[in-house]
Amino acid sequence: MATVVPVAGDESKFQHSKHINFWRRCLKTFLPHQYTSNDANRMTFAFFILSALDLLGNLQAALSAEERQGHIEWVYHCQLPEGGFRAFPGADFGSQRNDENKIWDPAHIPATFFALLVLALLGDDLQRVKRREILIWLNRMQRPDGSFGETLREDGRIEGGNDTRFGYMSTGIRWILRGNVEGSVDGVPDINVDKFVECIRNSETYDGGISETKFHEAHAGFTSCAVSALSFIDRLPLHEKASPQPDDYLHGISNLPLTLHWLASRQTLTLDEEDTIDKFADETDSAATCHDSRSFVKLRSYPSKAGELSFKWQPTSHFELQWVGINGRANKIADTCYAYWVCVPLKVLDHLELVDQRPIRRWLLDKTQHLVGGFGKLPGDAPDIYHAYLGLAVLAMFGEPGLKDFDAALCMSNDAKRYIESLLWRREIVGNEEVSKEGERAI
Amino acid sequence: MPKYYHDDPRWADIDALPQDDGGPYPLAAIAYTDEYSEAMSYLRAVMARNEMSERVLELTEHIIDMNPAHYTVWLYRAKVLSATNSDLSREIAWLNPTALRHLKNYQIWHHRQTIIDKLDSHVGEADFIATMLEQDAKNYHVWSYRQWLVKRFALFPGKGGADGEWDGEKELKWTEGMIEADVRNNSAWNHRWFVVLGGREGETVSDDFIKREIDYAQAAIRKAPQNQSSWNYLRGIVRHAKLPVSALKDFALEFATLESSDQVHSCHALDLLAEIYAAEENTWDEAAKAFELLATKYDPVRAQYWKYRQGLLRQGGVVA
Ligand SMILES: [Zn+2]
Repeated sequence: MATVVPVAGDESKFQHSKHINFWRRCLKTFLPHQYTSNDANRMTFAFFILSALDLLGNLQAALSAEERQGHIEWVYHCQLPEGGFRAFPGADFGSQRNDENKIWDPAHIPATFFALLVLALLGDDLQRVKRREILIWLNRMQRPDGSFGETLREDGRIEGGNDTRFGYMSTGIRWILRGNVEGSVDGVPDINVDKFVECIRNSETYDGGISETKFHEAHAGFTSCAVSALSFIDRLPLHEKASPQPDDYLHGISNLPLTLHWLASRQTLTLDEEDTIDKFADETDSAATCHDSRSFVKLRSYPSKAGELSFKWQPTSHFELQWVGINGRANKIADTCYAYWVCVPLKVLDHLELVDQRPIRRWLLDKTQHLVGGFGKLPGDAPDIYHAYLGLAVLAMFGEPGLKDFDAALCMSNDAKRYIESLLWRREIVGNEEVSKEGERAI
Repeated sequence: MPKYYHDDPRWADIDALPQDDGGPYPLAAIAYTDEYSEAMSYLRAVMARNEMSERVLELTEHIIDMNPAHYTVWLYRAKVLSATNSDLSREIAWLNPTALRHLKNYQIWHHRQTIIDKLDSHVGEADFIATMLEQDAKNYHVWSYRQWLVKRFALFPGKGGADGEWDGEKELKWTEGMIEADVRNNSAWNHRWFVVLGGREGETVSDDFIKREIDYAQAAIRKAPQNQSSWNYLRGIVRHAKLPVSALKDFALEFATLESSDQVHSCHALDLLAEIYAAEENTWDEAAKAFELLATKYDPVRAQYWKYRQGLLRQGGVVA
């Protein structure tokens, strides 16, 4: 380990108790009416709130046995008779629900994924989940091109975009309910894994990122979802470190070095709107123009000493490198959530070492961490649940003291992941498969 | 002014269906306004009886304005529009300001596609997109929607579909205009890739085509050498054409040399040079030097990445 040279910014402090306060407020009191536009994301937000407290090591303390059970009942209240979960109680017709109107209250892929995670966080054994129904439905949610959608229409048409977000959550549901077992489980056939991998490969872009769908622009969110999904189905690119044997499976990310280049390129010194103004008038000069040429101009005027230090794995005292932000697309401004969407695929690809975590951590703590706890999107922004959770998750990924170990692909603590893996009904499915595979090899 | 239904005679026949929040311990409960709670209660009531009527259109507009991410309200509205034989151009006229109020919403674009597809006409869409891009020239949904229009109405250069107003040649010109307006707009660069290559899947590209694209990207780089979008495009085209990366060596040398470190005008040029040198074993020393310059002086933000790339040289020079 290199000698630590004290530099300004080392005082950057993770405000553990403030974050607990922020998330406890989200758990215990009504969210302000500004969240109305997120009414249909309530199951997702329920996950963020409980998982944040879990990462902070405060979930046990935050809930009485009665509250815990009450929340479990709430999640099951969102389960549909035909299987799968609705995303919010607002879609529920109660006793008036029937075969004619249930199309307006359909099972929802993100809600189902997050409902399963929420139940796990609350210590439920998922025994009341209509697991077989979900697996049947999951098959119907995959399109011929391999992608997954959000909901199913009455005529069987799949609604929602065909981007990797739904693929991520669908393969996540599959991983929770049947591990990575191939073939039928409980008489329900598997999704078409190869077709899904093909779909991801089709959305790779010329600069190495992954986009919404073929020919769309590379975007860190879609890249992250794709890489995590590949890990759920065990189709990550074969890793150069492990010098693995090639296998007969189709793997995602056809040009790993290019993808790593694209991910590393998301680090930026454009941290707020002021940074985007091209004061040097060297090229386009407008406030709307967001780019990194200014940082280049700034940096190249420095003597190389500080750069040399950072190259030799020393903490840098280079002022401009004090804070490094992360953007989601080329030539865009840094944003808290993209620290998550970029660091997750790096971590899942076993390459988190390609970024220097220290200045990213300082950026989050000094610039977007809020006085009342939580994180905002940009420096000075009020915290919101989405950015607050993803900022916290990055710090957990970086091993911040006081936060639990984090599983990047599943987006929750390793404790919670192990809990899912420990469930008896799941061990029976996953375990049996391992046994039968061994058996096949023996033959 | 909040809008209510309980005192509106046109809704007197409806028994509102209040929300059952699922017991005493709901999660992520929101302090709904009375207006939203009531409107949702009426929405549930009409959805529950599958009412297809003019007044439902008003109600769904109201809900969408407060909660555009409601995933079935859009589908319900689309069904009502078709059941009531509504004028779809009026729907587009309503969608325009609605999209401007909800720049980050996804559902709105899907709905718009459904309507435009039925109308079978893109008239007015180019103007609408221009208005949206004035708000945010990099709005992901808008660019995705434009790609959909180009495919739907066959607006690829040299692929027919010419109707005077909008055709493939005009699309390419428009894209160039967007890049001209902001050479660092990566969405515009990506759109160019789509416009020039999206209509020729499976075709081999001609040398003239490759030369035109390389020339275009190089001219943009000369204008702004420290712009990752144009460099990525250039390298993408070269890779697509299966040309060796060394084909770009002379061009990269215009912006960076290893001899005099004061003559580096672009870290992307240095990055490219490093890759060119890394591809040949006899120039690995030069590659190592380029990576070191990037890490220490020209792109220290990515020092660890460049160090990793330098380390790969020892393992056989695997690079992008
Ligand atoms: Zn964000």
